[in-house]
Amino acid sequence: MTTNREELIVEFKEHLIKYLNLLDLAPADIQNDVPLFGEELGLDSIDSVELIVLLDREYGIKIKNPTEGRQILVDVNTIVDYIIANRTK
Amino acid sequence: MYIKDLYAISPQKTHDLSFENGDWKVLNEYIYKAIEPSYQDLIPNAQLRRMGKAVRMGMGVSLPLLGRNPKPDGIIFGTANGGLEDCIKFLNQIVEYNEGTLTPTNFVQSTPNALAGQIALLSENMSYNVTHVNGSLAFESALLDASLFFDEHAKEEKRLLLGAVEEISDYNYNIDRLGERFKKELVSNEELLDSETGGSYCGEGSTQFYLSNNPENSLAKFTAFKQSSHLFHDEIAEFVMRFLEEQNLTASDIDCLLLGRNGDVTTDSWYQKVEQLFGEKPTVYFKKSVGEYRTVSAFASYLAVRLLNGQAHYLIENGATVKPRTILIYNHFDAVRHSLILIQK
Repeated sequence: MTTNREELIVEFKEHLIKYLNLLDLAPADIQNDVPLFGEELGLDSIDSVELIVLLDREYGIKIKNPTEGRQILVDVNTIVDYIIANRTK
Repeated sequence: MYIKDLYAISPQKTHDLSFENGDWKVLNEYIYKAIEPSYQDLIPNAQLRRMGKAVRMGMGVSLPLLGRNPKPDGIIFGTANGGLEDCIKFLNQIVEYNEGTLTPTNFVQSTPNALAGQIALLSENMSYNVTHVNGSLAFESALLDASLFFDEHAKEEKRLLLGAVEEISDYNYNIDRLGERFKKELVSNEELLDSETGGSYCGEGSTQFYLSNNPENSLAKFTAFKQSSHLFHDEIAEFVMRFLEEQNLTASDIDCLLLGRNGDVTTDSWYQKVEQLFGEKPTVYFKKSVGEYRTVSAFASYLAVRLLNGQAHYLIENGATVKPRTILIYNHFDAVRHSLILIQK
């Protein structure tokens, strides 16, 4: 299990590319503080469900509250911080 | 039903019309994979990254067709399996994650009507939208639906996008291969019909037609079609001749035959029976070009329209100089599902 934050960021980005099929991107192409659901990556509502599945499968985190989800799934930094605080695997 | 426009992605270079102009690809492969064009200018990246091959190929054919023709009054598709690869992924996920949280993309993309739905969304077309999944007669069912649609709207000009799509899934290919539907030894498609073994080679692709009930500026027309799933071997000749009689035609009225011979010695005798009815008629064996798949009769129809318009004549055996005006397609799948399609200039 990766515990170092920088390593976790890279690992999460690799999962993000795999789950969302962003095959023309490398982890370094995704900025940590750029909103995922905006102009940059152009993710949409189906991607948000894919992200919830990612967090469940890879880190044992279940997001059930939509309001909570909107605060977590903002950018790479917010998601990785949440993983560090709440992961069960 | 008049064909105003058509386009195809197939294991030959139909996407840039090289195939039609004589560039025939020799295939020495177990799987005849479709040659896909670049989709970057056609499909937004956000949608393209999610698309399975069937949806991608289907969109790659439909968007150029819709781009150069008025908005159709309906979208009708035939597919036996739809997005099979995504379907298998989704089913495997159910097992792997013990029926827990599943990703939506594989499910959304794997439904057979995902393609027709996405075409409607991207082209903002809220009209009649149906996908037929009647196995190896799925395209014929779509054809019947289109015919009924035009019958229902005979008093006004109507237009339809009619198509078919099939993709190869590795998982299903292996099952079909174990079931001896596909050959275990490798033979070039040039020698496919002389292979003297069971099975054929698996193909894939998407073929689409832009149809209208207005004959003006049409390339050809679907004159008639017929299907059967309950024929005995000694009934095929009568099935064909009765079909011609229903159209007030005889064997001599057919200028060119398109036959689905696929090199499978266990079932090719059906085609030989039909060939015998027509003597030394100019013939095209279209599966040498694209292999066997369940909606391949759509590709045969595509090829017929090209032949009727002076293209791809190099494929005609026993008469490359003929200028056909009436073409009969006979195809069967596993010698169980048979179809006849009559296409005329």
